[in-house]
Amino acid sequence: MLYREALNKALDEMMSRDSSVVLLGEDIGFYGGNYKVTEGLYARYGEKRVIDTPIAENTIVGTAIGMAIGGLRPVAEIMTVNFSLIAFDQIVNQLAKIRYMSGGKITLPMVIRMPQGVAKQLAAQHSQSLERLFASIPGLRVLVASDATTAYYGLKFAISTDDPVIFLEHLLLYPEKMEIEEEKHFSPYRARIKKEGEGITIISYLKMLHDTLKAVPTIEKELDTTCEVIDLCSINPLDVETISKSVKKTKRLVVITEEPKTGSYANEILNKVLEEVFYELDAPPLKIGAEDVPTPYNRTLELASIPTPEKIAKQIIIWGRKHGI
Amino acid sequence: MEYKITMPQLTDTMETGKIVRWLKKEGDFVEENEPILEVETDKAVMEVPSFRSGVLKEILVEEGEEVPVGTQIAIVQTEIEKKEETTPKETKEEKEEITISIPQESQEEGQKLPEGTASPSAKRLARELGIDIKIYQEKGLLPIPAHEKDIKELFYKNFFDKDALELIKRYSLSLEEIVKHLKKEKITKKDVLEFIQENNIPQILPISDIQLKVIENLKKSTSIPVFHIYEQIKTGNLPKVEDITLTVWIIKILGDTMQNHYRTRVKLEENIYKIYPNSNICIAVAIEEELFMPVIKKVNKKTLREIALELKILKEKAQSKRLSLDDITGSTFSISNLGMFDILSFDAIIPPQRVGIVAIGTQKRGKTKVTFSFDHRVINGREAALFVDEFKKRFTDTDYLNNLKEEPLNKDLSQS
Repeated sequence: MLYREALNKALDEMMSRDSSVVLLGEDIGFYGGNYKVTEGLYARYGEKRVIDTPIAENTIVGTAIGMAIGGLRPVAEIMTVNFSLIAFDQIVNQLAKIRYMSGGKITLPMVIRMPQGVAKQLAAQHSQSLERLFASIPGLRVLVASDATTAYYGLKFAISTDDPVIFLEHLLLYPEKMEIEEEKHFSPYRARIKKEGEGITIISYLKMLHDTLKAVPTIEKELDTTCEVIDLCSINPLDVETISKSVKKTKRLVVITEEPKTGSYANEILNKVLEEVFYELDAPPLKIGAEDVPTPYNRTLELASIPTPEKIAKQIIIWGRKHGI
Repeated sequence: MEYKITMPQLTDTMETGKIVRWLKKEGDFVEENEPILEVETDKAVMEVPSFRSGVLKEILVEEGEEVPVGTQIAIVQTEIEKKEETTPKETKEEKEEITISIPQESQEEGQKLPEGTASPSAKRLARELGIDIKIYQEKGLLPIPAHEKDIKELFYKNFFDKDALELIKRYSLSLEEIVKHLKKEKITKKDVLEFIQENNIPQILPISDIQLKVIENLKKSTSIPVFHIYEQIKTGNLPKVEDITLTVWIIKILGDTMQNHYRTRVKLEENIYKIYPNSNICIAVAIEEELFMPVIKKVNKKTLREIALELKILKEKAQSKRLSLDDITGSTFSISNLGMFDILSFDAIIPPQRVGIVAIGTQKRGKTKVTFSFDHRVINGREAALFVDEFKKRFTDTDYLNNLKEEPLNKDLSQS
């Protein structure tokens, strides 16, 4: 199964189960979605439930909000997170606030799905990661789907919950082969320990999680220790408990994001976790992220601007040697 | 209530203001927003109103004086609260004071951590272990910054002698606990031993893979329905042959006896008996604390010397843990000999897939007690009794024994 097929499966199951689930977005219907996530759903559920929209993101979100208020469970697809900036007034001022400002009388059971991240030479305007922006808006739930399991169960949860959810995917994960691990009791807001270890806790998500896992064998060999790799799964709320527990064991913390380092969501993770575990630490925490530049178009420069398995391994090894491993 | 009039900022750039004229006298009544005085700024002369109604109680700055913006210049006694002259002041002060409640959580974290440059966890460990990081860093005995492992290393070196550390490792003890308990400068092996005995701490001994296998097999053995036959054999009259021990004699005689009793050469498999032509016997060999069961094959075709030599080789292999799978498989009967430990008699457990086992006690007045255990699924009492009886009689058959003693290498005696 592909990552995007896991998302498709989640959408399909939720649509067949609940006729109030509708999809809307650019090219998601007849064309099957720019990244084929909605492939086949138009044929199965028709144009009234899989709605092709004009290229007007603020309208897509605004319409979805109206649908949600009216009793539907819309899942809006924004082609990439970069275009969500156009819809920010609807997202920030309406989506995040209506439930609160109505004293809970109006619920907004809706999801905005969108991929983010650096793909291949899409240039600065189409290569952004923006989780920090969504995370900082109270009233929104923000989930990240790093693998088929979290994509499938996470999206199903996002559609079924009455909270508005921002559901972030990654452009490069869509064609990746992976399987859905069966989960009897999926906790959407719990971080998942992808690999257990004793020496270093590494927090990551989306594509960086996969790059981290690739880097881990080298790190473990060079530093003669073991790494505990945690997939964050939920950006807001943040599962401080799971991370803190791990850091109490390993006494070392690394956070890896694809966002540029300055102001990245890694800062928020570090801040919240350090408040809990400062006295447990045996080394200053390490933050790995993209360089503080607009993502370059040139492939060599593009790779130089973001973390790669090699760079992750190198930075952690140097950091580890410097701080007593 | 008192209302204080201050020098107002009347323009953006005004820093001081000069009082030109008071429009009211002390004791005069002032309406709300009624001009009370004229102020000259850097730009013009302006009227300044009172924002409350009341009685002008006191003029603080006289006409003609210049004061900075914000300076108090007059006090107006507001009418309504005139009666409560003293209390309002207090309430006002109270308002300014914020009230907070601080939960009484443990403030132990971070407090009293040792000085010096070290990671938080290193400092915490140092505090627990009573190590002053700063002093050791000044002496150059701890790196800057110090990490947890540096503190641990220093701690090991300083507080424990080598033997004590070894003991601690063997018992997987917590160093912190010991230090807390013993409260000594230098902890020796003796201290640790005392600690272990006092707290009755068990030593952790991992079970070797071989031993785990043995345990597994023993479990299987318990499911075998067993019966025993107790006998005594004459071993005092065995011919003396150099290098041939009692065990070798027993192996050989047992092997020969087995040839006449096919049920001792059987392997039980699901629905069939597999009858093997040769007498293959396994011998329980103890190497340190581990038990091995190497097999001597075709005992019926081998001479005493050959058996002795093979037994020696197998024991050496067991000692160096080089026994191959072939060396330990294929037997149908077993021997366990505890005679050398001066044990009168005992019974042994049948290893899985064997018909039986004979347990050999020590030789007393020319006689040795033997205990046979049989798998009842393979052999019945009558057949077993006949087998044991023949085995016993062979020990008194002088011709047979002398024959064995003198037999040349490789002579086939399988039909004896």
